[in-house]
Amino acid sequence: MKLYEYQAKQVFKEAHIPIPNSLLIENESELSEALNQINLPCVIKSQVLSGGRGKAGLISFVKTKEKAISEVNRLFNHEMKIKRLLVEQAIDIKQEIYVSITVDPLLATGLLIVSAEGGIDIETLAVTQPDKIIKEPIDLRYGLMPFQASQVAYSLGFSPSITKELIKVFMNLYQVFVTYDAELVEINPLFITQNDTVVAGDGKLMIDDNSMFRQKRFEQLEADYKTEAEFDANQEGIPFIQFDGDIGLMCAGAGLTTTVYDLIHYEGGTVANYLEFGGPNYKKAVKAMEICLKVPSKVILIVTFGTIARADVMAEGIVDAIKRLKPDRPIVTCIRGTNEIEAVKMLREAGLEPLFDTEEAVRKAVALANGGIK
Amino acid sequence: MSIFIDQKTQVLVQGITGSEGSFWTKHMIELGTQVVCGVTPGKEGQFVEGKPVYNSVKEATKHHKIEASMLFVPPKLTKDAVMEALNAGIKKIVTIADGIPLHDMVLIRQAAIEHDAFVVGGNTSGVISPKLAMMGSFPYWIERVYKKGNIGVMTRSGSLTNEVTAMIVEAGYGVSTLIGVGGDPVPGTRFAEFLPLYETDPETQAIVIIGELGGTMEEDVADAIKDGILTKPLVAFMGGRTAPKGQKMGHAGAIISGGKGSVEDKIKALTQVGALVAERPRMVGKLLEQLKVPKN
Repeated sequence: MKLYEYQAKQVFKEAHIPIPNSLLIENESELSEALNQINLPCVIKSQVLSGGRGKAGLISFVKTKEKAISEVNRLFNHEMKIKRLLVEQAIDIKQEIYVSITVDPLLATGLLIVSAEGGIDIETLAVTQPDKIIKEPIDLRYGLMPFQASQVAYSLGFSPSITKELIKVFMNLYQVFVTYDAELVEINPLFITQNDTVVAGDGKLMIDDNSMFRQKRFEQLEADYKTEAEFDANQEGIPFIQFDGDIGLMCAGAGLTTTVYDLIHYEGGTVANYLEFGGPNYKKAVKAMEICLKVPSKVILIVTFGTIARADVMAEGIVDAIKRLKPDRPIVTCIRGTNEIEAVKMLREAGLEPLFDTEEAVRKAVALANGGIK
Repeated sequence: MSIFIDQKTQVLVQGITGSEGSFWTKHMIELGTQVVCGVTPGKEGQFVEGKPVYNSVKEATKHHKIEASMLFVPPKLTKDAVMEALNAGIKKIVTIADGIPLHDMVLIRQAAIEHDAFVVGGNTSGVISPKLAMMGSFPYWIERVYKKGNIGVMTRSGSLTNEVTAMIVEAGYGVSTLIGVGGDPVPGTRFAEFLPLYETDPETQAIVIIGELGGTMEEDVADAIKDGILTKPLVAFMGGRTAPKGQKMGHAGAIISGGKGSVEDKIKALTQVGALVAERPRMVGKLLEQLKVPKN
């Protein structure tokens, strides 16, 4: 789960990582109170989860109250349906640094990543100037040791007072990484100010989805989802992504669903949604179809090849879903795996024409979507 | 012969009294697996499929010679169960749990490396040598999916594995040993770490890897081929070629990060060292034929 900047910064503040003065506003009328608390000039930052906010015009630097009002109006009426803005005090910047902590799957360690070339895309820097990036492995049994934080900080070559502040930031950021079961915690940029203090300019915190059972603090709100279908899927724990194509996918298994997605594109089709009801969700066919039917699509394609996710159980669910929901569009099925013979029988009895070959099923769905077969 | 597990490997089942544990224990035995006993704390004295249940792995090892442990344990308890098996000296552990916390997996992999052990998974179907033995949950009774043969398979997927093995069988081949390393971003053991076993296995004449976007496991395999660790022919299939950039689609591990892990990168790395990459599952069998891998 990815947190918004304002949530990440709240966590940073609690962990004693300095952040700029700021106030979150949810409508235009809250701006004047914010400007009473935050001095001009200030930065108005859209709280959206996508990256590249600066380039997309979703962050504005404003010097006057008039400009602040017009920018807040513009952003709240933006097509991205922005719900929250962070009004943040502008910082007098001397330098920008990159800091993050993530995991290294090969070495089985945490990884502190630091670069004095902050503010830019670290992935680009990794390609163009890999020698500018410091990587310090962290043994998760002992945690980030002070000597490691110190060694990394001193190697950046700042004054002793700034270096001391950086060490504190690294140590505190590691506490955030552990406390929140983070996949990634990142400060980019970390500002060195003209007064030689250190302040987090941005904040990214991604909590590992598998750890959500012990990370209850941040629950996602319905308002954070683009569509009702997305919200429903998330509530059910069903992996779902909405696109704007023709074929609604209702498949089982991440790898198989991704492969079907590829095959549709090879056959000249387009995908309306990615939905995966395998694994722990294999008994949720009714819910899965209900979600698929909320998405505008021309045909629903069901492909499975399950073991524990038994074919007969899934077929039974699909037949039940069709009876209850009476779908308004054609459904192509290709259900295989444990007890597949029984599954095929059930689908035939319900009037479906089950297929047994993934590529054939994909071709049929594409033909139906393109108006080829009626 | 096979790698990792055969009909002689003595297997313990942790979590044997649970519904999944008892169901798959029955199937493991039916296929030919030597399940010798099980562990569920508090259930000592019971029997599952005629096999005695103990309160702890340590207690089980007092009564049986155990080479491998199969875990049917929920994700929250997996770290503890793996540590218990490692501390009892077991060197082959398979965990199918889907949803193990990331930081737990880092600690599990680190412990596996330190104990010089193989921890396979989580988020996998496990390991199978068709007609001989399995640790995990495979529909081995469906012959068009699991047939014995000379192709070593490694995979990050579950359902997609059934899809691809069905295509291997369709082309007239079968599987020597299949290892599901799992779909998590940090698997207990990575593809490349199994290659020396496949390389020396006389029964395996070619390797198929079923990869995915994200991570660098496929690139590591390419490096191993370059370094001469694997000299047998290899065919790869990877889902996610047309996946939109920056979108998390598929497993948690299936995300492009650090400028690495796109399917294009993986195809480039593998084809540069002479491996073939299939565009569709069905192509896997055709490419094995193209590499002149004998059918038996």
